[in-house]
Amino acid sequence: MKSYLRMRYMVLLLIPLLLLGYAVYQWSKEEPGTKKIIVGVKALDENEFWRVLIEGVNTASREFGVDVSVVGPSQEIEVDLQIQLLEEAVKQKPDAIVLAAGDYHRLVPVAESIRKAGIPLIMIDSAVNGDYAQSLIATDNVNAGQKAGKELSSRLPEHAKVAIISFVQGTSTQIEREQGVRSILEQRGGTEIVGTYYSEGKEERAYEITKKLLLERPDLNGIVGLNEPSTVGAGRAIRELGLVGKVKLVGFDSSVKEVKLLEEGVLQSTIVQKPFNIGYLGIKTAVSVIEGDRMPRHIYTDSVIINKDNMYTEENQKLLFPFVEE
Amino acid sequence: MKTPQRIKSIQSRIASSFVMLVLFTALLLIFISYRLSESAVRETAESYTSELINQVNANIQTYITGMKDISLAAMNNPNVREYLASADELEPAQLAVLKAKISDYFHSIRISRKDIASINIFGAGGTFISDRSNAELNPYIEISDQPWYRQAKENQGQTVISSSHVQPVIKGEYRWVVSLSRELSGMDSTQGLGILLIDLNFKVINDMLSKLDLGNRGYVFVIDREGRIVYHPQQQLLYSNLKTERLDQVLQDKHGSFVVKEDGASRIYSIKNTDFGWKIVGVFYENELVDNKKQMQLSFAIAGLLCLVVGVLFSVVLSRNLTRPIKKLQEKMMEVEKGNFDIRVPVGHSREISGLARSFNVMVLKIKELMYQIVVEQEIKRKSELNALQAQINPHFLYNTLDSIIWMAESKKHDEVILMTSALARLFRASLSKGKEMIPIATEVEHITNYLKIQQMRYQDKITFALDIDRGLYPYLTLKVLLQPLVENAIYHGIKNKEGPGTITITGVRRDTRIEFQVKDDGIGMDQSKVETLLTSKEGTRSRNSVGIANVHQRIQLYFGTEYGLSYASVPGSGTSVTLVIPAVHADEWQRVEGDVP
Repeated sequence: MKSYLRMRYMVLLLIPLLLLGYAVYQWSKEEPGTKKIIVGVKALDENEFWRVLIEGVNTASREFGVDVSVVGPSQEIEVDLQIQLLEEAVKQKPDAIVLAAGDYHRLVPVAESIRKAGIPLIMIDSAVNGDYAQSLIATDNVNAGQKAGKELSSRLPEHAKVAIISFVQGTSTQIEREQGVRSILEQRGGTEIVGTYYSEGKEERAYEITKKLLLERPDLNGIVGLNEPSTVGAGRAIRELGLVGKVKLVGFDSSVKEVKLLEEGVLQSTIVQKPFNIGYLGIKTAVSVIEGDRMPRHIYTDSVIINKDNMYTEENQKLLFPFVEE
Repeated sequence: MKTPQRIKSIQSRIASSFVMLVLFTALLLIFISYRLSESAVRETAESYTSELINQVNANIQTYITGMKDISLAAMNNPNVREYLASADELEPAQLAVLKAKISDYFHSIRISRKDIASINIFGAGGTFISDRSNAELNPYIEISDQPWYRQAKENQGQTVISSSHVQPVIKGEYRWVVSLSRELSGMDSTQGLGILLIDLNFKVINDMLSKLDLGNRGYVFVIDREGRIVYHPQQQLLYSNLKTERLDQVLQDKHGSFVVKEDGASRIYSIKNTDFGWKIVGVFYENELVDNKKQMQLSFAIAGLLCLVVGVLFSVVLSRNLTRPIKKLQEKMMEVEKGNFDIRVPVGHSREISGLARSFNVMVLKIKELMYQIVVEQEIKRKSELNALQAQINPHFLYNTLDSIIWMAESKKHDEVILMTSALARLFRASLSKGKEMIPIATEVEHITNYLKIQQMRYQDKITFALDIDRGLYPYLTLKVLLQPLVENAIYHGIKNKEGPGTITITGVRRDTRIEFQVKDDGIGMDQSKVETLLTSKEGTRSRNSVGIANVHQRIQLYFGTEYGLSYASVPGSGTSVTLVIPAVHADEWQRVEGDVP
């Protein structure tokens, strides 16, 4: 009977002790320390797109209470530097890496090593060749390309010749946009796509290519610029050659230069992405992945057609004139 | 068998009551104090937030008031009035001078105020004066289409504050501003002379609002009176429908705050109206503002559980301590049960237990004493029985009697011989009584009668007897051989030494529950000191007969109790009377109670 009594006390003691243990366990579980996420962007502040995207990243990091550091080269063309920065990021063993790949092929080994290190990888804006990421958050670039195609198409004469000024060959963004543009224009009867020209993401190069092209092909009716420098460069060439209104230009992204081109009527429309949303969703998705949720493989963000008429609407002002510019 | 005992154990009862008490108290206290601290923290947080929003409001108000002041100053500036009123009449050169003066004036205002982005006047005839002399109008923008222009026109001299927007009117500039615009009119006419536009650099408002700390997820946003967003940190998410904001609710709210419960989190909207129609809204997450809510809950829970653990430990120890002396006492009692009376329980600390222990000790001691007493009494009984037996076969008496018989036989007194011998025989038979200690009074009477007969024959005319015992007493019981020593004593000490014949009277009567015998002689008597020693004499210290008397007294008291026994009354020279008292015990009754007791 004595051992019986002792057992009763043990049980009486055990219950609060168990509760205590559970509480402490819950506590340690609930306060896991701030999650660290490294965001690798293509360029830190080369253009507004990245600045707005990083703003979205920062907004999300504040909202979800994660520690985010953004790494990237100063220019999109510095892919080697991006690779190097990401290799260093992997060594820091963050809870997740959010990556905008500067090159569709060259960042594959880095993506592989991130995967091997057991770090969740979320890709934003542009992917790499291969299935390394838990999720890709990007503008639906095919859809955006189609929008550009339709915008241009509506302003072209029946038989038209169109050129595509692309940027860095090999990035998924460029490939998909071109695919979208072509899918519309190629269906259009009597329209010829004279070719795709690569500006390497440089305005000056785009200007030169376009100028040469316009001079060589006076029958050209329309140009699609697949990103901001390509569009602005092409616009400058059109303006300089006095072809405003004669050669229709539809572009991508936004900048003050593009705004001016829009106002002047050089640029008919521009397809604007929502970099803020991409950055925001990149972090939000990373947080979900860290917490163990399964996320969809692709999360597409919207794109908006902006032209001279709607550029000052309340909704579009923020997209066209990102506040970070000041 | 174990279960009921377990429940009945004092220790477990005390322990479980304590645990219950501690549990209940701890839970109650924790609940109350948690509630109190939570509401205290929440109140602090809420007042902090509302303070913050008030501050924001005051700051924005300052900016707007500043703009209004500037607009008033500009409007009343004589150069401005002159320029606007008489633009048509003046020479271009004069106009240019005036324009430069105004521009300088605006410029001086603007550089003194960082929050002002630009000050401009748009004259009715398409004239334009800016704070920067080199500023050009954006050729692609129609001024009169601009919302601030149209609203100023519509409001006829009233100031109009726009929402935040991009200002594209200056060539090459696309600034985010908040515009104050008002129509300037002449003194004497209601005709509009132009529109004054003051742009507030939106960055100052943006910076102020984005730096506010309302917890990790909390934020401040501002809408104008139409519900358009002036500032929202997640404006782009709202436009993309990735987030929704309670704009309608904010516009309709009259109380200054409301709570939204969504996705398991509750947000508190704290709203402040400004003079110019903006609403400043602080949004904070309740669980965040009570920042350490989880920590608070946990620390309370842990404190409570610690209390419980301590309480349980305490109750176990306490109940043990309380019951340990009781258990000890129980163990000792069990030893006593086994027959060990040399036990002494140590007297403990607590009053109750020490009292119990003390009583127990006293009890054990008493029992031990009583047992010793019983042993002693048994011993005495045994001895007195032996003495009684000895009295029965008093060798002197037998020798004297036999001597008398021989003497009578020599004198050929056959009848006497026969009489005496038969009396002796019956005397012995009566005194043996089949070995029984308790005998009917009849037997005792027969015994004493035979004894008296023998003594009378021996002492011839020296002794006369009177035997007067109520026949009704015969079936009652008495100890055997009680009367004989008394009679013997009366003969040998009372009458034998007396000159002349003596008389011995024996009476027996019943008084209520007692039977009283009295043996009375008219012998020499004795003094009081002898009477006193008679009943207490010990064997060997006094004469044999005295022992006989003491033995009778002792036997009566041993068998029937101290209220019974002998009492002597004697007057020296005139005789002694001894009274013998025993309880009236009927033979039938005795059999029933004691069975066949010897």
